[in-house]
Amino acid sequence: MDTKKIAYLLLNEAGIGIVLFALCLLFSLFVPAFASMNNISNIFTQISINTVIAVGMTFVILLGGIDLSVGSVLALCTILAGLTITKESLPLSAAIVLSVIVSMAAGMACGLFNGWVSERWKIHPFVVTLGMLNIARGAVLQVSNSRTIYSFPKEFNAVGTVSYFGIPLIFVVAVLLVLFGHFILKKTVFGRMIYAIGNNEEAVRLSGHNVKFYKVAAFVICGATVGLAAILYMLRLNIASPILGNGFELSAIAAVVIGGTSMSGGKGSLIGTLLGAAIIGVLNNGLLLVGMGDFARQMVTGIIIVAAVVLDTYRAKVSRMLI
Amino acid sequence: MKKLLAVVITVGLLMSLCGIALAADKPVVGLVMKSLSNEHFKKMEEGVRKWADADGTFELVPVGMNSETDIDTQISAIENFIARKIDVMVLAPADSAGIAPFVKKAIDAGIVVVNFDNKLETAALTANGLPEDFLYVGPNDEKGAYMVAKYMGEKLGKGAKVILLEGSPGADNARQRQEGFLRAVKECELEVLADQTAHWEIEEANTVMTNLLTRFPGVQGVITAADGMALGAVRAVEAAGLGGKVLISGYDNQDQAKAMIRDGKIVCTIDQFGAENAIEAIKIGFRIKNGEKFSGWTETPGKVITIDDLN
Repeated sequence: MDTKKIAYLLLNEAGIGIVLFALCLLFSLFVPAFASMNNISNIFTQISINTVIAVGMTFVILLGGIDLSVGSVLALCTILAGLTITKESLPLSAAIVLSVIVSMAAGMACGLFNGWVSERWKIHPFVVTLGMLNIARGAVLQVSNSRTIYSFPKEFNAVGTVSYFGIPLIFVVAVLLVLFGHFILKKTVFGRMIYAIGNNEEAVRLSGHNVKFYKVAAFVICGATVGLAAILYMLRLNIASPILGNGFELSAIAAVVIGGTSMSGGKGSLIGTLLGAAIIGVLNNGLLLVGMGDFARQMVTGIIIVAAVVLDTYRAKVSRMLI
Repeated sequence: MKKLLAVVITVGLLMSLCGIALAADKPVVGLVMKSLSNEHFKKMEEGVRKWADADGTFELVPVGMNSETDIDTQISAIENFIARKIDVMVLAPADSAGIAPFVKKAIDAGIVVVNFDNKLETAALTANGLPEDFLYVGPNDEKGAYMVAKYMGEKLGKGAKVILLEGSPGADNARQRQEGFLRAVKECELEVLADQTAHWEIEEANTVMTNLLTRFPGVQGVITAADGMALGAVRAVEAAGLGGKVLISGYDNQDQAKAMIRDGKIVCTIDQFGAENAIEAIKIGFRIKNGEKFSGWTETPGKVITIDDLN
């Protein structure tokens, strides 16, 4: 392998990883506690939910779409799952399994609505998912009567704190999902079609493929990941709440974009998304440990989001020069 | 044909609207709250509705907002009430300065306005030609926060290390609670390790608290400005293996807080009796309508809730 190729690979695949590594190095120099196993384990827990949602979001954004409804749908999923799991007429194991199914199904149904409506009437997903954001939020407040559900079975709550050698179970789930999604995107016909449509929808349509199917499927996948994220949320905080998830769509989009996925579709990867979510999590954690105030922290996070994407445009230029 | 149908339907709708207005011979009370997604206001609505149904002498029109700071919807609600010429409006302003001009409009339109739950800012009142001592019926958040923090301070003892989790910066009740916390903290000579916002959110409180525990493992107490944030802090403390070793307080006495006090996970919270507050405001509104004069701050009570109150 010549140096050009190595440089190309580094820039293309590891660019965002280098930023993450630099941030971690910087924080551990300033605050020794940052690099402690406990703190790293905390960061893993804190980024898991955003990572899972961002996986689904990546599918949607790869097709040039967007899903603004994930936060509200997440709340809806937790409440529906919460109502199921606290039903005393059900035996414990059945209640837990059923709540997972209910949560995933609710998420997928919302995703199906988003995808089908925007395809059937050719409406930009921005508008349809903005509608769904309100529909789901209204529905969850209605269903829950704006009350939080908190009396989950002890056995369920216990799973939330399980960790293997300091790596929390919910993070393991998030990483497995990333790897599974990565396999689908890179190694299956379905995944390659998503990239193809993102790059040139018209060409794919003219070659006789059903573009609509893939576009709707991406939203259903996004809904399914939100349903899974809802279960992880319940495991982590042991509550289901109708008001949670405000602004989660923005964190997920930020993770996807920082991870190098193009907002116009066709370019990006789930590994990048995982790293993007990690950068947001590390910033949140590290800046607090350094002792930075609330307002400054919010500004710095914003600056880094923009800087990461600006850097990305240079990265693309440099790697094009190298080829 | 379609046009005709549309005209018929429109006329029908208008007539039924008039019908509603004509049928309302009872006095009408508008209850303007903040977000009904907040358990505090949801419970308030239910409490007041129940009381109004039992009372039966007036028609109650409750309105809630989409979010805590949804000032636009609140202004439209007030304008609708002015157009409808209701008799009494009790109002929990989403923005204690921005709503003042619309309070003035409502009063000029002959509506009795009672400010409750969240006090209108004095400077905004005078700037809009309203009296400086405009009536406010409601709890004293500064005092409530002081009571909670004072209770925590006595439990923890002098010199104890505490973390404060605040509401959204910019919200008046968040600021008042922070002031109350800090007054008690000073008086009890507690050491404040961090005074941080978690924007009223459970998830954010959990993340902030988890990270703060890494920075300050020796923390002894956590004083929060909302029950939800207390819940987030409880999970963080438990996950760090410090369950029971860190004393945590909430605010607002929601159902989840009661459950956590029973389980010994939080020490105390405070009840400011939202529904009773609103009912008091409506009663005073009718007394003003009958010619009585009120001004200044009619303070409604707050009570620190501990395990002793729940048994």
